Amino acid sequence: MKRLLGVALGVLTAIGGFLDIGDLVTNAVVGSRFGLSLAWVVVVGVVGICLFAQMSGRVAAVSERATFEIIRERLGPRTAGANLVASFLINLLTLTAEVGGIALALQLASSVEPRLWIPVAALAVWLVIWRTKFSVLENVTGLLGLTLVVFAVALFLLGPDWSELADQALSPTVPGDEGPASYWYFAIALFGAAMTPYEVFFFSSGAREERWTVKDVAQSRVNVFVGFPFGGILSIAIAACAAVVFLPRSVEVSSLSQIVLPVALAGGKLALAVVIVGIVAATFGAALETGLSSGYTLAQFFGWSWGKYRRPAQAARFHLAMIIALLIAVLVLMTSVDPIRVTELSVVFSAVALPLTYLPILLVANDPEYMGRHVNGRATNALALVYLVIILAASLAAIPLLIATGGGS
Amino acid sequence: MLLSDLLDAPVRAPSGDPLGYVVDVRLVLDGPLDGGLLVQPRVHGLIISPRTGSSFLGYERSDVRSPAVLARWLRWRHRGTFLVHWEHVATADADAVVLADGYRRWSPAFPEGAHRHV
Repeated sequence: MKRLLGVALGVLTAIGGFLDIGDLVTNAVVGSRFGLSLAWVVVVGVVGICLFAQMSGRVAAVSERATFEIIRERLGPRTAGANLVASFLINLLTLTAEVGGIALALQLASSVEPRLWIPVAALAVWLVIWRTKFSVLENVTGLLGLTLVVFAVALFLLGPDWSELADQALSPTVPGDEGPASYWYFAIALFGAAMTPYEVFFFSSGAREERWTVKDVAQSRVNVFVGFPFGGILSIAIAACAAVVFLPRSVEVSSLSQIVLPVALAGGKLALAVVIVGIVAATFGAALETGLSSGYTLAQFFGWSWGKYRRPAQAARFHLAMIIALLIAVLVLMTSVDPIRVTELSVVFSAVALPLTYLPILLVANDPEYMGRHVNGRATNALALVYLVIILAASLAAIPLLIATGGGS
Repeated sequence: MLLSDLLDAPVRAPSGDPLGYVVDVRLVLDGPLDGGLLVQPRVHGLIISPRTGSSFLGYERSDVRSPAVLARWLRWRHRGTFLVHWEHVATADADAVVLADGYRRWSPAFPEGAHRHV
């Protein structure tokens, strides 16, 4: 019974933890402009993150090393250093977007200017990182994030033309007023939102925090293979809500209030309150994960002691790195930069940086010296190579498309 | 000299013919305990790849063949990679590594059964 509860908890937190500000914004923007014609990318992204998270969780459990320790060991200090700079900066960008997202969600609830919320949000994130046990932090935000199911409920209440939605999703075409360049730009953004690198840093470092061993591999597989696809369904529900409400009116989503508008239309004040709780939980959870990831990547590269299972005094540089990352995020947000724009950039750059973490994990997952008999099987490797091609293509195409489309506008 | 100075350095035979580039430096831990806690690492030799100074990503150490496309590509890119023992290195600096007369090309793979810790 206890074991069953453990599995249920793991799956639920994986669903709730899947969505972050990147998924919320990108799916809503895409829904409002392209309907469900990019829903296939969410499917591709979810399969990819399942594959990648499952591999990195297994590597962390069997080899007892987290992602950046492996990157450093396998690529050597120089290449790994370049990798660290890129990964750290993109993680910082994502952290900035998440903290901004918390502030925007709190603004929706309170009508208080986001710049007043930003320092409060960052302080709360830091306090939780500093004080709270790892398992509590993961489970509470994951479970509260489940309230985003309200997007799926809202979609039913809106009573859409299901055949029209199915038609958009199953025979995707570029809508008339959009060019193919922006279609592919948003395809890459959606892919980057589903497969953000920090999820993997957090997942593999979390496996070390919780002292996973070979025995836990099966449980982690269930969490990932059940939880993430449900998270993907919620992503598509967000896009569908935006498609139903905004696409026919040619309104382009550019703010958080627009993202939640379909829910408010369908379910009224109560649904709006629920969705705000969900967004605060999802962005807060992701801010914790990206905040911790900034410490994990640096500490694992430089060989500092790290981990929430140590008291802060025993992992001083790890905690200092996270404080500095949070301060930088606050400073960036205080310049009045639009957190939604930051989010849109962060998901695209996530796609750019993805091969840097994907390749080392793939190599080590095949190395019997680390993995013993738990190396990748043939089927996993076949799929992993297909994804290597997809990830490389998305990474190489992202920046040219960013420039060509002027950031998708 | 720093270890990273050696990486990518071009390698020449005693005759002056170019042999390739240093892609890795192999260390072994087989000495006596230094101060009772740690073993001093010892430079065993250099891994030399004939065509490129880029990394072999560890595939030189074993006969791992997966994922097939990557393994095959890396093996092809680094075909002819060999190990020379450090005692057969005549001079070594960042500009060039020159091997001594009578150097031998050893297989870069680990001996069977060594270094297994899983």
